[in-house]
Amino acid sequence: MRALVIDDSRTMRHIVADIFAGLGFDASQSGNGREALDLLEAGESFDVACIDWNMPVMDGLEFVAAVRARREWRDLMLIMVTTEGEHGQVVRALAAGAHEYVIKPFTPDALESKLALLGLLPAQESR
Amino acid sequence: MSTLAVVDACQVTAIATEVFAAMIDRRGGLLTSWSRGPMTVTDPLHAWVDLGTVPASRLQVTTDAGTAGEVTRAFLMKGEAEPIADADVVDAFGEIANVLGGNVKALLPEHVGLTLPEVSRQSPSGERAVLLNEALFAWRGRPLVISLYTI
Repeated sequence: MRALVIDDSRTMRHIVADIFAGLGFDASQSGNGREALDLLEAGESFDVACIDWNMPVMDGLEFVAAVRARREWRDLMLIMVTTEGEHGQVVRALAAGAHEYVIKPFTPDALESKLALLGLLPAQESR
Repeated sequence: MSTLAVVDACQVTAIATEVFAAMIDRRGGLLTSWSRGPMTVTDPLHAWVDLGTVPASRLQVTTDAGTAGEVTRAFLMKGEAEPIADADVVDAFGEIANVLGGNVKALLPEHVGLTLPEVSRQSPSGERAVLLNEALFAWRGRPLVISLYTI
């Protein structure tokens, strides 16, 4: 399983990528939505992307919309991991095509439970 | 119109306690309310985000540079002997302000925008800034302040 962590904070990318690695994922990182789209357009394939909302260059919501506009990326699961905790913002992200939503601060367990909901835990696959 | 004046110090304390317990310390009890009288932060480092309220407002986190380095070490789960780069401190301390600001923003009755975090040794909140609220903390015994301003 491959994960893409998209956040302009190196610290957050490091922490989220560590969580993914601990769950058996091969985790890559991008500093904003544009960098992440460049990876996808270059042919990189991921099972799930964890996306911050507020980023320079291209924000998380724009990234979600761009991914959802491309049929070839329809299997990519999208999880917003962001401080944007207002109900209206959650609805906006889900309406744009995000599958799940995690509000910072979060614990590794919170992210793991979202991955489980999406059927993305490698341990679940082998059962 | 949304304003940070509706957010009180108790709410800021609750948010900060949750943020530090979940993301930095991975357990509770290390961020406590300051109870040692007047607080002095020497060699301060400031991280802040601005909110698109009317008038505009700011959440600012201040601690001494050494403590910011130790917060970063805890955030990144680095050992005591591992070096912490200045760039790591700027990134981690800014992200803390970002998470605190986002959670404070969620308390407002209307959606407002949030700027990307900035970090500086100079306080960005000059004479024109009006202090709305301040929460004083001891993080592992070291001083840390979260301030809300109208700017």
